[in-house]
Amino acid sequence: MLLKSMLGSIALIAALAGSAAAQQPFDQSKYPDFAGQWLRVGPLGVFDSTKPPGRGQQAPLTPEYQKIFEANLAEVAKGGFGDDPVYTCIPEGMPRAMNLVLPMEIVITPGTTYILMEYLSMLRRIYTDGRGFPSDDDPSWMGYSIGRWTDPDASGRYTALEVETRNLKNPRTFDPSGLPVHQDGQTVVRERFYLDKDNPDIMHDQITVEDHALTHPWTVLKTMKRERKPIWVESICAEGNVHVNIGGLHYMLNGEGELMPAMKDEAPPDLKHFPTKK
Amino acid sequence: MRLQSTAVLAGLALAAATGGASAHHSFAMFDMEHPIEISGTVKEFKFVSPHTLLIVEVKGTDGTVKDWTLEGGAPGLLVRDGMTAKSLKPGDEIKVTINPLHSGAEGGSYQPQQVKFKDGTPVVAPK
Repeated sequence: MLLKSMLGSIALIAALAGSAAAQQPFDQSKYPDFAGQWLRVGPLGVFDSTKPPGRGQQAPLTPEYQKIFEANLAEVAKGGFGDDPVYTCIPEGMPRAMNLVLPMEIVITPGTTYILMEYLSMLRRIYTDGRGFPSDDDPSWMGYSIGRWTDPDASGRYTALEVETRNLKNPRTFDPSGLPVHQDGQTVVRERFYLDKDNPDIMHDQITVEDHALTHPWTVLKTMKRERKPIWVESICAEGNVHVNIGGLHYMLNGEGELMPAMKDEAPPDLKHFPTKK
Repeated sequence: MRLQSTAVLAGLALAAATGGASAHHSFAMFDMEHPIEISGTVKEFKFVSPHTLLIVEVKGTDGTVKDWTLEGGAPGLLVRDGMTAKSLKPGDEIKVTINPLHSGAEGGSYQPQQVKFKDGTPVVAPK
């Protein structure tokens, strides 16, 4: 029995060591201590944690995308969702996922660093094995991320992880207020994760977004605090989502699963495919 | 972009205190300007993702009972506020201040700190 268990473990390790990078001994002491659970510090649902939501974010939108944002706000003012796609369980994607509705965990392995996000069970996979961006990969909401560990002080231990993320899928917004990214999907997100020098239980993620909806790159500083005895809660959006979009209109389900209007004087859905018997 | 951690945390704490209490998606379908209080009996407390749902049987002035569907924060947020799936059970009599749907239908949003038992005891401690 013991032998069988050992053989199983050896097979698992061999499978995990599939990449060339993974075949090198992994010296964890060369990496920063990112272990534990990281919780958002700051308000819920904003990209720039130092500013109020919506217009208060003062996002550097181009005139074209400012108009798109204003149209979105007008719909929201009537009780609609505007351009926020997340209410139908579409994942937040990048960079919005880093708003951290719920906490995250960082798992460092030799060739890939993973960010496991509690909210919507989103997963970020950051390749640190030296590869470049693929030329023909399908876009995705979390994008394709290439990372690089840095040791600017030549201390012998990495102090930061720099990440570039591309190939992102739409629809996405910066936040629940509907702050838009460009429809061309050409967003580039550059990040730098590092521990605070004065408090190792504080992590920062400096994020710079380049996007054609913006007049210039938008840089924010995210801050997270460490919880060493975490609780984790599963987050599966389809479990109990009560918001539906039918024909471009937003409705809400009640406790019995029946459709309710969400907006004032909202028309019912078109029932042309449900002919009534005469 | 090096900042003193104390100053950063203080600033973010202030932002959190003054920021909206909305959840992951817009809560624009709920009228945040005109909250109302409803009283009734818990029919079901669904501790589900992406948002918890509190179904309350509410008796109207004409004596008819209607179910109100109240949407709250994500389970992960509520747990960290001290509210669990066992905090409310069917039959509990509660009163809760809600933000009703703009449409006038029997729905709204709730904050855990706004839910109280009939005797006024809060379901979770205030923040």
